[in-house]
Amino acid sequence: MTATDSESRGVQTAPVAVDISHLTKTFGGLAAVDDVTISVPERRIHGILGPNGAGKTTVLNMVSGFVSADAGRIDVFGEDVTRMKPFQIARRGVARTYQNIRLFPGMTVLETVIAGAYLQRSSTILGAILLSPAERRERREMRDRAAELLEKVGVRADHGTLAETLSYGDQRRVEIARALATNPRVLLLDEPTAGMNDVESEAVGLLLRELRDLGLTLILIEHNMRLVEEFCESVSVMNSGAVLAQGEPTWCLEQDDVKEAYFGKRSDAARIATLRRARRGPGGA
Amino acid sequence: MSTTAWLTTLQFAGVNALFALAIYASLWTGVLSLAPVFFGAVSAFTFGYLAGAIGLSPALGLLLGVALGAALGAATAGLIIRLDSHYLAMATIAMVLIGRVLVLNLTEYTGGASGTLVPGDLGTWVWLIGTLVVAGYVMSRLAGSRFGLAADAVREDPAVAQTLAISPRQIQFVGFILSGALGGAAGVFQSSFLQYIGPDTFYTHLGFVTLAAVVLGGAFHWAGPIVGAIAFTILPELLREPMGEYDRVVTGVALVLIIIYMPRGLVDVRRLRLLRDRTRRRPGDRREDVTPAGAPAGAEASS
Ligand SMILES: Nc1ncnc2c1ncn2[C@@H]1O[C@H](COP(=O)(O)OP(=O)(O)O)[C@@H](O)[C@H]1O
Ligand SMILES: [Mg+2]
Repeated sequence: MTATDSESRGVQTAPVAVDISHLTKTFGGLAAVDDVTISVPERRIHGILGPNGAGKTTVLNMVSGFVSADAGRIDVFGEDVTRMKPFQIARRGVARTYQNIRLFPGMTVLETVIAGAYLQRSSTILGAILLSPAERRERREMRDRAAELLEKVGVRADHGTLAETLSYGDQRRVEIARALATNPRVLLLDEPTAGMNDVESEAVGLLLRELRDLGLTLILIEHNMRLVEEFCESVSVMNSGAVLAQGEPTWCLEQDDVKEAYFGKRSDAARIATLRRARRGPGGA
Repeated sequence: MSTTAWLTTLQFAGVNALFALAIYASLWTGVLSLAPVFFGAVSAFTFGYLAGAIGLSPALGLLLGVALGAALGAATAGLIIRLDSHYLAMATIAMVLIGRVLVLNLTEYTGGASGTLVPGDLGTWVWLIGTLVVAGYVMSRLAGSRFGLAADAVREDPAVAQTLAISPRQIQFVGFILSGALGGAAGVFQSSFLQYIGPDTFYTHLGFVTLAAVVLGGAFHWAGPIVGAIAFTILPELLREPMGEYDRVVTGVALVLIIIYMPRGLVDVRRLRLLRDRTRRRPGDRREDVTPAGAPAGAEASS
């Protein structure tokens, strides 16, 4: 048990970073997200769990402004962003990655990350044309900063290669670096470890913790339960658009309706729980 | 073909390259626009009128064309940039059509159906090449700049660009201004080389020819439109003698082949980068996340 575990159960002392209340989205009669309320305090790693089609991605899509909400409200650091355009939400410190990787075709790894630093730059059209000293300095700084971020997220591939040609793991890491380049206060990650092995996933978990310690708030959709239990301080479990359980991860996963949503019949759930415990065994404390 | 005929062809290749760059400037930000033809028309007729009325030095005429084009680009963007892609493209085609109506009806300034004469002192190689060099330099500086990367992002995936705090409209607005400045310059040159402009000088034909040049040359790098315009102006001339009337068929077939086999045009940086990445990776390792053969085993532990 860590200090943060007890904190999450107690009174929320940290200010709320992302406050989602009664959020609803319907696609052609299907309630993809149905009256979802999630509150994530600052400097928290919050997981959103649930089977495929539960509506997890749609929640992130609404927070980042990708998809407009039918009803409900989203506040980011106390500001209502429900009706804002994605770039306006991004300017309030929200960055994200994608379940289906969305890198820019034709861009190198380095360019991709620098493109993320758009708001951090003060370069003007005229400065760029005349190649002013400020422009030159900024370009140098951008290259250095992008290289730093790539190192931080663990991309070891040549920075001059096309981002789209990297392995999926590296592509996901480049997406994280691109999101971090915006200097976010809130980072939304949609299945950041999909397709990664345990070692790589663990590295992502450690990265998230490092970012949290730097002051970021992280909301991630994650299927790797071991990772969730190790790194998430709180979770929301979703099924069919609704939140089934919310709170401390281990507790949430013990709830009957959560087990049922995840593993179907209860007898299966027991079997899988045993498997899960067995898998946690080697190496784990 | 005689030498003078060749020189004339090359001059129009240069002017077309300017028009193609103007179309590229907004394509760069994800907007298909034929508006440069309209910007060129307004600049050219204004230049013609003022040159006749008060006399203009070549430098002043060119400056006027650039400034007028840029201002028109900004005004146009302010009016139509909110439209969705296809409607936006159609609105710019409508501008070209309206341009012709204006030329026909503002007889007092444009000469109406019979057109107007324009001084040709700007129509020299020095001015043309100088302007092309400056335009190419400006575009090359912008590529990879803050604006350039944002434009790339907006074109490739405007939704993702937005989550990087980039406002697509803002980027497209700048694209229109650039497009206007280049189109304005191109219009002034076109009129100076022809020394006569009429209602059909800046019309759909010019728009489609230059758009084809951009597609052919490559719409993903500033050198593409220049290469495309030169190739597409010279190719029909080269083919005219051996092919007779079939030159247009051959040109059309060449365009279709390029679209099929080189969808990103002749100048395709992405393809070059892919080729480079492939050849660079070939010795030893197949994927970059695999430790290269022969690397010390300890290299992995350091990560
Ligand atoms: N843009 C969309 N249009 C129509 N249906 C959608 C769209 N996005 C998601 N859905 C539907 O909403 C439901 C929830 O999807 P999603 O949020 O992607 O689930 P999850 O991320 O939990 O797997 C699914 O049934 C999905 O098919
Ligand atoms: Mg999803």
